[in-house]
Amino acid sequence: MQVLAVSFDWNLFFDRIFHPDGVFLRALALTVEIAVVAQILGVLIGLLTALARLSRIWPLRAIAIGYAMVIRGTPVLVQVFFLYYGANLFLGVDLFPKSLDLVLFPVSGAVIAGITALAINEGAYMSEIIRSGIQSLPAGQIEASKSLGMSPALTMRRVVLPQAARVIVPPLGNQFNGMLKTTSLLFFIGVYEMFADAQVHYATTFKAAEYFGAVAVWYLLLTGVWSVIQYAIERRLGVSLRAPAGRLTRRRPLALSGLFSQRHSR
Amino acid sequence: MSPGDQTMTWTQKPAGGEVIVRAIDIRKSFGANEVIRGISLEVREREVVCIVGPSGSGKTTLLRCINHLERPDSGSVWLKDERIGYRRDRSGTYRPLPERYVCRQRRQVGFVFQQFNLFPHRTALENVIESPVRVLGVAREQAIREARELLARVGLAAKEGAYPGRLSGGQQQRVAIARALAMRPLLMLFDEPTSALDPEMIGEVVSVMEELAHRMTMIVVTHEMGFARRAADRVVMIDEGKVIEEAAPEAFFTAPREQRTQDFLSKMFH
Repeated sequence: MQVLAVSFDWNLFFDRIFHPDGVFLRALALTVEIAVVAQILGVLIGLLTALARLSRIWPLRAIAIGYAMVIRGTPVLVQVFFLYYGANLFLGVDLFPKSLDLVLFPVSGAVIAGITALAINEGAYMSEIIRSGIQSLPAGQIEASKSLGMSPALTMRRVVLPQAARVIVPPLGNQFNGMLKTTSLLFFIGVYEMFADAQVHYATTFKAAEYFGAVAVWYLLLTGVWSVIQYAIERRLGVSLRAPAGRLTRRRPLALSGLFSQRHSR
Repeated sequence: MSPGDQTMTWTQKPAGGEVIVRAIDIRKSFGANEVIRGISLEVREREVVCIVGPSGSGKTTLLRCINHLERPDSGSVWLKDERIGYRRDRSGTYRPLPERYVCRQRRQVGFVFQQFNLFPHRTALENVIESPVRVLGVAREQAIREARELLARVGLAAKEGAYPGRLSGGQQQRVAIARALAMRPLLMLFDEPTSALDPEMIGEVVSVMEELAHRMTMIVVTHEMGFARRAADRVVMIDEGKVIEEAAPEAFFTAPREQRTQDFLSKMFH
């Protein structure tokens, strides 16, 4: 009986990490681009959906609820395929042609379709996060705004959203962390991002552990950099986030540090 | 009268003259619970009216009905000759206004909450200038000038850069009063402004309100009988959604006519 020798090519593994080639770096850039654009669009879709969800107009509410239910109830990969392949069949036109020449740079139709699908998916999750952020605001804030003559739109913009942002940002950071990794699904519609690059190398060399291991390290690097950025953003937002001092509103943001170090309130 | 051409120092004058606010036969229910059962109230310029009564008697709801934070089920509220929450159409009938128009009418009515409700993401100064700048369109520099004057009047000139979370309850409430005054309201409503305060902070808020009395038209829902006695022109006793008794403070506290007022006062002073 032949013994399978398990060999791991450490040189190749480190080479993929420390000496990325140009093709890989372009794949890396595309990964980040897709994640950032899809996340931004997702937040916008989520904001609109959250506002629709809180609207007094019931058809808007129904659309928002239905959208979130369908998207959150189906796999992302199915949505990506449905949009890329299905949209063309439905519409009878090539919604996402093989390549698009946008003014500044050429982008493949698959990338556009992928970003769209990820953004639509993200929007459903963001809408729930934003809605709960908005609803976490004490009713007194709205009443104070009303009594100062502020219109509902102004109240939303100047009072509700800035305060909701603090509640929204931590889960938003987690969503983006997920987004960085979910981009790998776009490999299946032919987008040449980081995972696709690893996949192509694997297919020609069968060195799965080295290539997929190295790309995993790259994902880890991306999410690591992001967590540093996220931490900085949360700290900045937290500057004015101190518990109001009123007797009934004396609430402190729950922080782990508070569990270990005894701080006395006034 | 534009917001700019009025001076910030009001003069203390005896109450009287023009009727500023008139509530006529207000009724309000929450579900099956009728909280306000037909209350009418009239307050003249620079008059200070204190509303007292047991908890759950409807005092706060009445106050909230006056600036339409709650829409009364029936009755009407008039601010000078304008009906709050309604617009007169061509045929002369009054039609309910949507919220974004009601908030325009509320500019003229300041409201001070039990829980202060300052904007926690803005400094004391930013809290005060927010609405003059965004709603009235006052130039930012002018709004800041006036806000500093107001903060000085409530004794908080040194705290303009502090976020509400860094202020004591008494300081927050004084900022809230300055914020309401910055809109140059015709009328100020105070909803138990000292009830959420630690005892040692009540005095600083009460003295700001006494300072304001007779410079501003005020309706004050309060349990501070000392304030009512010293500053009010009229004390209105409310119980179970109705006005029980209405009198000048001297008469109200020394010789209440109604049994329920007597019971209430004896409980307040043990």
